[in-house]
Amino acid sequence: MAVTTASRTRRPLTLGSIVRGAVVGLFVVLMVVFILGPLLWLGVRAFAGNWTFPNLLPDDWTLRWWQVVVNDGALGIAVQNSLFFAPLTVLVSAIICLPAAYAFARFDFPGRRFFLISLFATNAFPKMGLFVTLAALFYALNLMNTVLGILVVHVLGTVVFMTWIPAAAFAAVPRNLEEAARDAGASTLRVFASVTLPMALPGIIVAAVMSFLASFDEAQGTYLVGAPAFMTMPTQMYSLVLNYPTQVAAVFSILLAIPSVALMLAAHKHILGGQLAEGFQIK
Amino acid sequence: MTTTLHKPAELEQTVPPARTTRPKRLGQRAVGFFMALPPILLIAIFVGFPIVLAFGFSIGLTGGLNHTIATIGQNVHEADSWWGTLAAYQEMFTNKRFLGDLLVTVIVTLASTATVIFLALGIGLYLKLKGGRMARLLSGLAIVPLFIPVVIASWAILTFYSGTGFLRSVFALFGLDFPVWAFTMVTVIIGSVWTSLPFAVLMVSSGLQSVPNAMIEAARDAGAGSLRTIVSVIVPMAAVPIIIATTFTAIGIVGSFTVPYFTGPNSPNMLGVDMSNYFSAFNQPQQSAVMAFTVFLIASGIAALYVWANFRSAKEQGKA
Repeated sequence: MAVTTASRTRRPLTLGSIVRGAVVGLFVVLMVVFILGPLLWLGVRAFAGNWTFPNLLPDDWTLRWWQVVVNDGALGIAVQNSLFFAPLTVLVSAIICLPAAYAFARFDFPGRRFFLISLFATNAFPKMGLFVTLAALFYALNLMNTVLGILVVHVLGTVVFMTWIPAAAFAAVPRNLEEAARDAGASTLRVFASVTLPMALPGIIVAAVMSFLASFDEAQGTYLVGAPAFMTMPTQMYSLVLNYPTQVAAVFSILLAIPSVALMLAAHKHILGGQLAEGFQIK
Repeated sequence: MTTTLHKPAELEQTVPPARTTRPKRLGQRAVGFFMALPPILLIAIFVGFPIVLAFGFSIGLTGGLNHTIATIGQNVHEADSWWGTLAAYQEMFTNKRFLGDLLVTVIVTLASTATVIFLALGIGLYLKLKGGRMARLLSGLAIVPLFIPVVIASWAILTFYSGTGFLRSVFALFGLDFPVWAFTMVTVIIGSVWTSLPFAVLMVSSGLQSVPNAMIEAARDAGAGSLRTIVSVIVPMAAVPIIIATTFTAIGIVGSFTVPYFTGPNSPNMLGVDMSNYFSAFNQPQQSAVMAFTVFLIASGIAALYVWANFRSAKEQGKA
């Protein structure tokens, strides 16, 4: 991350540099409004009583919307469902995809490239179209309104993350380290557990976080396959927005954002460190 | 520029898989194949197979597993020859509503992708060339949407630009009237840019960061100005990650549902929304399938670019 220009001597202030500074400053302000504005605007709403139109803040503050959410049984169940499906999805996805990720990184086998591309094809087909086509199959297999059906939809959304990102992480583990461990007498399993896995762990963590969030955020497919038997937090949002006061939806939004923000903050070093970007380049 | 210099440093470090000194044994190849199989099978069963089925349905093959959906659905065109019929496609491609939606989808995708890549390049270049706290603040800001579920983001954006939203309020305080952007294509584009920005910024700035500083210095020493350095040295060297960011952004937007569903107008809207309308509200699954394949056709055109970019980069590393 070394920056070339940082070592240069400071130039004296000129009209040009002031203008340039102003342009950058304006851009930053616009970006702050563009990115954070909607979130703050929504966040304030969760604590707002009445709000008269042109005012930038509500007339009075209240916590009663939080009570509405806490006391509403349906919303509580949605929270439970979300917290049930997301970890389960990560687990199932890891079991299915991590061995494949290792194979993509370490073995050459017939169809390797074709496999990599077909994983990508999942992303190219429009999700809505996919769920519409999936519905026909689910009816035939009796998977509609079942835990398994929803799990399939959620895991499908994580396959790309769980395969590509760990594959890049496994590939980045230097082979000579593994070979050195093997020469020192470690078994294949031991080499994997004490050399390969720890070094690839950041990539796997990023993949797990992305998968957790993909499951946690999945709305269209869950709605089509699971509603109304299984409502998760995002599918509940669809009906909240239509049927409840905006403040309730705002409270629910904050609740829904908490796990995402917490997980992302925990893993942000690795995500910003290039693990995510690295995973999206087929090799 | 020689090919050796053309490789981003970061890519060089990764050892190309499986091309090693050790001779490959048949057993190892088989182990690799079977380890890689589970996710492929999952996708074959729950993505590939339904897509084939749906394609059959869209050309009027209504037997077999398509029987139920063909019975429930209305306005189903049935095959009149052994290979099917193009009647459903014909119907949709002469349907004004569909053509309007198609146009809107293409426009939103182009406009949003262009904006996202422009912003990502701007932020990435600023981070690479200037650095400092301001640059880190900018890139940090651009990552924020990654933290927020799309459902919430769409809804937050809708309220922000609505009739009683922030912008209207601020302008009203100065006695000015700001247009209502909620439920127009403007918010759909804003929402698409908002949700797509983090991935593009991560991808592009990681690509730009791996351009060796020595190259930039060399270009500068040779008398190239900032713009010239960016256009003919930095951007070409980070071309592959930039193309990957562009294709993923475009594919994500062309098939998007949540953002246009929450923030867009009833009609014309993007195909993702209309697809779901035709499927559930209008109960015309075949027409919905035609839309899905139209979007898929556009997406696979974009995807071809992605695959090409990746294999080009693989070739540069001496693979393939």
